Amino acid sequence: MKKFARKALLFATGLLLLLFFTNNFGLIDIQKTAIVTAIGIDAAEEGGFDVTAQIAVPDASGADTASNVTVRGTETVGEAIAELNRKTGWFPTLVHCSLILLGKDTAQENVFRALDYFLRSEYVEDSCLVALCETTAAETLGAGSPIGDLASAAIAKVLSAEAQKTGLVSVTNLRDFAKGYFSEGESGFLPQLSALPQAKSEGGSGGQSGDSGNSSSAGGSGSGKSGGSSDVFDASRTALFVRGQLTALLETEETLAYNLAVSGTDMAFGDVTVYEGDREVIYHLKIDIGKKSQKLQIKGALPVLEFSIRAQAQVVDANKAGTRTEIAATAIVPDHVLRAAEERFEKELRAAADKAHATGCDLFALKQKLHRFHPKEYEALQENLLQDVRITCDIRFETMR
Amino acid sequence: MHKLNVRQICFWLAAVLPVSRLIVYPATLSFRAGNDLLWPALWNLIAEGTVLLLLLLLARRTRRTFFGLLRERAGEAAARMTALLLALFFALAAVLPLLEQRGFVLQILYENVPSFLSFAPLFALLLFAGAQSLRALGRTMDIALPIFALCFMILLLLALPDADFSALLPVFGRGMGEQARTALFSLPWYTGAPCMLCFVGNFEYKEGCAKKVLLAYAIGAAATLSFLAVFYAVFADISFLQHNALAQISKYATALTPLGRIDLLFVIGLTLVLVISACVPVRLCVHCLGEAFGGPRALHAAIVSILLLGVTVLLNPAFREAQTFLSERMWPVFALFGYGLPLLAALFLREKKAHRSHGIEGKTPRKDLSAADRTRAPSPETGRTLRAEN
Amino acid sequence: MDTKQTDKQETFGADIRANLRMLKEALPAEDILVYEFAAGDGTACAAVYADGITDKELLGALVARPLAAAPAPKTREEVRRKLLFPEVKEADDLDAAGKEILAGNPALLVDGVRGALILGTKKVSLRAVAEPQTAIAIKGPREGFIEDIKTNMGLIRRRLKTPALRFIMLNVGKYSQTAVAIAYLDGVADKKAIRAIEARIRAADIDGVPDSSYIARFLARRPLSLFKQAGTTEKPDILCAKMLEGRIAVLADGSPIALTLPYMLTEDFQSAQDYFVSPYRATVSRILRLFAVCVSVFLPALYVAAQLFRLRLIPFGLLIIVSGGIRSIPLSPGLEMFFLLAVLEILVEASVRMPKYVALALSVIGALVLGDTAVKAGLVSSPAIIIVAIAGISAYTVPDLTGTLSLVRILYVVVAGSIGPYGIVLLTALLIWYLVSAESYGVPLLAPFAPLIRHDLADSLYKADLAALDRRPRALRGKNRTRLKLRRDAAAGREDEQPSGEGPDGQAADAAGEEKDA
Repeated sequence: MKKFARKALLFATGLLLLLFFTNNFGLIDIQKTAIVTAIGIDAAEEGGFDVTAQIAVPDASGADTASNVTVRGTETVGEAIAELNRKTGWFPTLVHCSLILLGKDTAQENVFRALDYFLRSEYVEDSCLVALCETTAAETLGAGSPIGDLASAAIAKVLSAEAQKTGLVSVTNLRDFAKGYFSEGESGFLPQLSALPQAKSEGGSGGQSGDSGNSSSAGGSGSGKSGGSSDVFDASRTALFVRGQLTALLETEETLAYNLAVSGTDMAFGDVTVYEGDREVIYHLKIDIGKKSQKLQIKGALPVLEFSIRAQAQVVDANKAGTRTEIAATAIVPDHVLRAAEERFEKELRAAADKAHATGCDLFALKQKLHRFHPKEYEALQENLLQDVRITCDIRFETMR
Repeated sequence: MHKLNVRQICFWLAAVLPVSRLIVYPATLSFRAGNDLLWPALWNLIAEGTVLLLLLLLARRTRRTFFGLLRERAGEAAARMTALLLALFFALAAVLPLLEQRGFVLQILYENVPSFLSFAPLFALLLFAGAQSLRALGRTMDIALPIFALCFMILLLLALPDADFSALLPVFGRGMGEQARTALFSLPWYTGAPCMLCFVGNFEYKEGCAKKVLLAYAIGAAATLSFLAVFYAVFADISFLQHNALAQISKYATALTPLGRIDLLFVIGLTLVLVISACVPVRLCVHCLGEAFGGPRALHAAIVSILLLGVTVLLNPAFREAQTFLSERMWPVFALFGYGLPLLAALFLREKKAHRSHGIEGKTPRKDLSAADRTRAPSPETGRTLRAEN
Repeated sequence: MDTKQTDKQETFGADIRANLRMLKEALPAEDILVYEFAAGDGTACAAVYADGITDKELLGALVARPLAAAPAPKTREEVRRKLLFPEVKEADDLDAAGKEILAGNPALLVDGVRGALILGTKKVSLRAVAEPQTAIAIKGPREGFIEDIKTNMGLIRRRLKTPALRFIMLNVGKYSQTAVAIAYLDGVADKKAIRAIEARIRAADIDGVPDSSYIARFLARRPLSLFKQAGTTEKPDILCAKMLEGRIAVLADGSPIALTLPYMLTEDFQSAQDYFVSPYRATVSRILRLFAVCVSVFLPALYVAAQLFRLRLIPFGLLIIVSGGIRSIPLSPGLEMFFLLAVLEILVEASVRMPKYVALALSVIGALVLGDTAVKAGLVSSPAIIIVAIAGISAYTVPDLTGTLSLVRILYVVVAGSIGPYGIVLLTALLIWYLVSAESYGVPLLAPFAPLIRHDLADSLYKADLAALDRRPRALRGKNRTRLKLRRDAAAGREDEQPSGEGPDGQAADAAGEEKDA
């Protein structure tokens, strides 16, 4: 037995060393691997897709540059990813893909035609950020950043958790978007990304697109440095989706109101306009949300969505020159300003809700709440819930002392 | 000298047994039971806990092993036959965890689906572990607990910010019938009781033992249930897409940070505990084969490992079918061996107080020794075997 | 000494010539000399000694001179009384006398006196008791063992002034007849273990024992194991501390390294320093050592596995740097790491053996050529060098395990490079299984972690205050568990009202305290 064990051990050691020195069996050769940091999907003709992959290209010094490669006219996203390999000779790895951009045209149909590739794949994490582009995803990924970042890195900063805290961006990841799509409400939202050109500058990073078409194989992946315009990304508007299709767009103020009331935003800045005497004065306030809740109640067989928000505000600036006393007491917000802020907030919140419900978008996950908290009334109320729901707001702003 | 310590059994119940239920089981449960996934799990945990309690009461009244008691009551042939059947059951019970682990490992620890060769060395480890004593098995539990506790707590804490527990509502939304079916189809994941049956007589039952063991089991059950709750709270309607739940729940906290997926290090830690948990049914299968046939443990371990390797290779491309077959078709077998046999043993083999067998302090009665143990010579070192405490 | 021993033991007669002839035949080597002199009455006397290891001055002054000044004694007893010498033994047969002569103790023959007397005038060149290089202490004693077993035994005796300190003397080695001593505290050490150790040493059939590591090989239950089977130390204070815990020491003549048994893996993570500094500092140091060992073993393997199989383990920013750094490297990450680890081992080996005057030049080669230039030439990448350097340095936080760690580290790299991250997990599981099944004379190697012995955890990874270490480690299975009794008054910090030395009844306060505690 011992002899056999010894022989078996020798054999196993030999096999191990063979595996080690021949370097095979499921390896990734990092030098032949394209590290995809972002994927952009645009609608092509006849229901196909144009897929742009932003590939991080490290140089010898380790600096970040990127190259965009576009595969056009594939039937599915998976096919496009596979073609990336065929055309470029690189094996694309999506494990570091932290951003998925959808071109505007893809939102005309169900975006999950494209997105479910990422849900099926075990190697793409559904923690990646998702956003809708105002134009095409390829153009957005090709935009430059004024501070030298990769476009995907710059966009990721705009869509980061820190940005979410300011309330100006409705950040969502693939998991949350998919949850909403598969939930009772079949709704969701994505931030709409716009690239705002700043100034022309030389040596901006962000890449030169190489096209790899279906019929011709240019296969290009250029290296990233080129002179071009540098763009700032804005994601303050929110696109609403029902069954994967775009139905409405929330403006900046509506987005802010929604985030303050519902999402993880606890602190934001907003403007309030009041009339003092005959003058129109704009106060710029810092708003700290203390407690917030949204409850769906059934009152008299009718659904009522109750918002309860308690916030504290502080004057950051005003468009009039303040007196010494006013400046010294900047933390104390005048009552009329607080009331105006409450009104403004409620107005924008109702506008967001109306816009969503009018298009059938269950932005506040009402059907889900009805199912979870009022299962007995669900069957009766769920069909016309969005139309029938009455919204009440109990919003109270206090001054920060 | 007893091979296992009560503490080690507690650690097994609290840390090692639950981990095998954290891979595919949560997704499977959520597919069948939706937001009511906690209830079928709870019922199975209560049932298993009850059987464990009865087995502890059996252990309280005897120093014999299960096979020793069976030998005394029903004869040698019956004991050997039961041992053989139990061995087959343990081999069967090892199949699903191995397949789950294969999928988990190849998808989570690798980025392009690697060859089966990356998973195959596990069977060499199973062979090695199967050839070791029960004492060694017990000691690995001492190592597994702190690793599990640390890694599990961290993963759970990382997942909490993304958890919306209202997803678990409404309670009993799916109906009792569906939940009952789900509970039955979950039986392949609840094989702790037959393991405990094999441990009876191999540890020293002391006063307060039952309380400790049940507390440990309750902790393990709480860990399972809390994981299931957090899992569903994080994923809600897309839960059943998450096949490797253990590696999925905590990624949202770390994925976009500068350090990246640091939670994968803790997942790797739990993979180590998973490997240890896969060794338990294999080692007990070897134990039962020893009871049935005698002979060297290493030989039985080799047979079992090769058999399991063959089965895993065969079922490699058909995990769904295998899982469906084992859970939906074979659940009566799991019910019989997982609950029925231990229950019967606990009820009918229990010795009355007056008939309690009194062996020499610390010495296992000869009837309870397996065929292999009966023929083993003492160490030549000092004429007596110099053995450590557990 | 003629190694072909005759069955019949030749004994000495009264005829000095015949005895000398016998001795010269048995010990024909030219360094075995005969000093012949006459007693006061002209009776022939002779001392047979080994040149170079006998103190000839002592021989002349304390042996020859007193004999020459008086008539020859008639019996060995009379010879003893005449000699101004404490260490005198009797030897009746050639074999016993031969062994003693070869050990440096001359044999004295007097014509007409049957038998020989063995004089303890051994003198060998020894180095001074100094601090060992492998166990430098910032605080604490600086003495270390030397090659002489008697000196080493004296160093132990000096620290354990108790009749319970016992030595079992053995001779091991057919040709070397090396003196081996088993030292233990009676009533503290496990008697079964003592007997087992003695039996194994006695059963050792070997030509020579140049070092205690040879004895360790015989004492090992798993001789082919990658892991040590016995503890080692060069410091008497550490050895005595271990003996006080219940361990058994084995000393070998010619070796400054003492073995301690039973052995537990945790003792290599403990340092003498831990007992001389605050327990908090000691705890942090131990945790740091464990962390360093994990880094040393796992970091290179994880790096290789991440690059080859799981890029996601590497944060994106670092991945870009790594990816850029390895662009032109001809070797795969696994081979590169293997190569660098091999170079590290070569450097370590060379630095131990190289003459001091070329150390500077070679260290420049190591740093500049192998580090900087190799990276610039594109042979290896900077991240890999950093990792190997960290891994190499980390291993030296636990010097006693360095050899084992180097091998285990290479094993991990090979496994990681061939099987991947799961290979690391499997190898760890295998090592765990292997170590939990290993025992050292009844004590599990991984105690007090596996099996978990709660009481012993107070001095494992975590170092409790001295007051909490009142009992010996349970794992060592000694009978006498208590090693510390704190007086309640002293523990509470209260001072006696009476002047020290006098209790309330006029008794000594110490005696009163002792009676109370007992």
